[in-house]
Amino acid sequence: MTGQPMSSWIRAGLAAAATSIFLAAVGLIERFRDLNLVGEEVTFAGLVMAVVPFGVGYVLARPRIERGERREVPLPRAALVGAVAGIAAGLGFGAAAVAVDAFGVDRVRAVFLNVTEGLIELVTFGLPPVAGAGVLAVMSGALGALGGAYRRSPERWRRPLGTAVVAVLVLGFLQRIVPIALDQLNLERDWLYSRRTGGLTWPGAALAAVVAVLASVVKARLAERWRDLADRGGSEGAEPFGGLRLRTALFVAGLIGVAALPQVVGSVVSEVLGTVMVFALLGLGLNIVVGYAGLLDLGYVFFFATGAYTLALLTGATLNTFTGQAEPALSAELGFYLAIPIVIALAAATGLLIGAPVLRLRGDYLALVTLGLGEMVTVLVKSPWLTPLVGGPNGMRNVTDAALFGFGFRSPQHFYYLGLAFVLLALVVSHRLAASRIGRAWTAMREDEQIADAMGVNVVRYKLLAFAMGGAIGSLGGALFAVKIGSLTPASFEVIVSIQVLGLVILGGLGSLPGVVVGALVLVGLPGLLREFEEYRFLAYGAALVGIMALRPQGLVPNVRRMRELREEERAQDAWARASIAQEREDEEEYEEPPVEPAGGELRP
Amino acid sequence: MSVPLDAAAPAATADRRPVLELRGVSTHYGLVSVLRDVDMEIFPGEMVCLLGGNASGKTTTLRTILGYVQPSEGQVLLDGEVISGLPTVEIVRRGVSMVPENRRLFGSMTVRENLLLGAYLRTDRAAVEADLERVLETFPRVRERLGQKAGTLSGGEQQMVAMGRALMADPKVLLMDEPSMGLAPVLVEQVFEIIRSIRALGRTIFIVEQNANMALSIADRGYVIQTGQVVLADTAENLLRNPLMREAYLGEL
Repeated sequence: MTGQPMSSWIRAGLAAAATSIFLAAVGLIERFRDLNLVGEEVTFAGLVMAVVPFGVGYVLARPRIERGERREVPLPRAALVGAVAGIAAGLGFGAAAVAVDAFGVDRVRAVFLNVTEGLIELVTFGLPPVAGAGVLAVMSGALGALGGAYRRSPERWRRPLGTAVVAVLVLGFLQRIVPIALDQLNLERDWLYSRRTGGLTWPGAALAAVVAVLASVVKARLAERWRDLADRGGSEGAEPFGGLRLRTALFVAGLIGVAALPQVVGSVVSEVLGTVMVFALLGLGLNIVVGYAGLLDLGYVFFFATGAYTLALLTGATLNTFTGQAEPALSAELGFYLAIPIVIALAAATGLLIGAPVLRLRGDYLALVTLGLGEMVTVLVKSPWLTPLVGGPNGMRNVTDAALFGFGFRSPQHFYYLGLAFVLLALVVSHRLAASRIGRAWTAMREDEQIADAMGVNVVRYKLLAFAMGGAIGSLGGALFAVKIGSLTPASFEVIVSIQVLGLVILGGLGSLPGVVVGALVLVGLPGLLREFEEYRFLAYGAALVGIMALRPQGLVPNVRRMRELREEERAQDAWARASIAQEREDEEEYEEPPVEPAGGELRP
Repeated sequence: MSVPLDAAAPAATADRRPVLELRGVSTHYGLVSVLRDVDMEIFPGEMVCLLGGNASGKTTTLRTILGYVQPSEGQVLLDGEVISGLPTVEIVRRGVSMVPENRRLFGSMTVRENLLLGAYLRTDRAAVEADLERVLETFPRVRERLGQKAGTLSGGEQQMVAMGRALMADPKVLLMDEPSMGLAPVLVEQVFEIIRSIRALGRTIFIVEQNANMALSIADRGYVIQTGQVVLADTAENLLRNPLMREAYLGEL
């Protein structure tokens, strides 16, 4: 029997136990024991405790590639593997609880603040610790077996089931958001969300699950039909049932959906979407610098600040003082739409200014120097030297609301449209750039600067251009941010913004435009929606980045060029392996023939 | 050395003006002197090779011609105009292009994109298309690979693309930096076959090579450089017969 030995299952189980202990120690279990997702039975704490053993079973039962063949783990074995790992996970976790209890919760708590009596009680189900640990191990084993079995269940069951569970959980997590949206739409909400527990009601959850299952089944059917029709349509790529019309319809529907979104989801979600837009703009700008031109810039917040403060100054914002407000030392009273071109021009100039001294630097050195520049932003803004201009630590207020024909954009639902317009603009510009001569020059430069130079690509000019273009788009993010919140303080321009933006660009997939949008939605949108977990934001953030880098280094929505590259590398490797085998055989035959004309034979004196 | 340096210019081409000329070029890396008073001439349609051992200044000669480093003394001339001191981009624009050591293609770009990058500075689209066609005629195997990533090609194919990329600039002089470096003996044969086919196009080629035998077998003339100085300059035939050469570079034939 091939496959992993039992010791490796146990090792995986113990790794899962360590995960559970970690999650408990950082407080993700005990603190959310009352966060009800469905009824009063499914809580976030319970979910965390269940997901770990389930997950380890699921992962262990995945198909393996052995000696070039894909091997599915048989169902009973999958369940067995999951059960063993799950029991190991439960025993490890339970043992930790017993040990803490024996050692004294208070003494452990001196170091691990989240380890409380309540946590131990929760983990051991209120039983005496040793008995509780036993129950935990049994339950973990069951969950592990379930995870393994689920992984091996036929796809036509697995898909709908998974969709249903995820849909219910997502609705459960959005318990602060969805009810508000329902209220705003004047829809009855009590059947879906309980006012008492806060989470979904059981009937509501059941309904959501049914809808999700139906949607999943319908989608699978449609995909199947689509494939059939495509197969029958022949190789000319004939579109099944009027593909163009359908696509147009989908496009229009999508457009209407995007346009109507803020009205549907209400002001809380619109507010989050507005922040997503600001970060998407920053991401699109940084994507030019890092994704296209390959210059690792960690000081990107510089442009965010430039955009925000120049817009504020150009449109007549005032300084906050202890006594009230004051005029900045230098300001203008332009309208937003007149000021924007100036902001862009100034940011591009700033890009040149920052780019020029770091032109000769590469990779790590460039990153380090730009990080320093990023740190300078808050120092500069807070400095007494710039205080008369930007208000120092007190900041500015009364930034324009970018009113267009008397229609202001300060409210979240209105801001959404302003942001959308600018993001679309930046998307179009980025898209056109990538396909242009400039884009090709950047790609060449990113891959091999010296050879690009030898091909006649003016490396200095294109580096500066990348800084200028990236800076200009990023400054739009800053300007919109200023409009959105109406006031500015140095705290908004810490260097962490650079890291966040870089994170979303990498998460989405370097050089990929849809990637930037998805990255912004995931890294900015999700934390905005899940405010309960605010404290764990950077933990989740780090985990997401590590996970992405380990499991999907090309990003969530990779750039076509890189995706093509990865795929073709695989294909090339296969082809290479086949070819080299063939070559070897050929060579063996060839060597029996006399060699063709010795190299340099005519040189012999 | 015993061989007179003025044998450098072959009689047959003495009346023509050189395309590329190095006049008393010295190059320093900081305080280290790498090239000392180097004189070289390459005439139109000629293939000239530069031979020398490790660290003798071969690559630096190419880097000086391309403007990666500036000569501390002397001048580089292209078609009688001084190009030393100009930025690399300008030198490339005026008609010098290079096939770099180890090929160095843009691996994630397609073969087609690689070839077109060679013509990056040209604006005459129709002529570029025509040249692309000519390159593909010269290297039929490259045509099959046009849409493929350059990084996925075999070593020999990559060399063809690298040469094609340099040809796409329609250069007055084609510089080649150690084209046989790091290739298996069978492939070395192949590469020199490629160079021969480029020669047949009537290109002016300046090639830096360690494989002296191979290089001299297809070149018109050769320069031998030692610790930054030209120590021998002669026709390829004479160099092959030169006892000093045979001892130092051609091995115990």
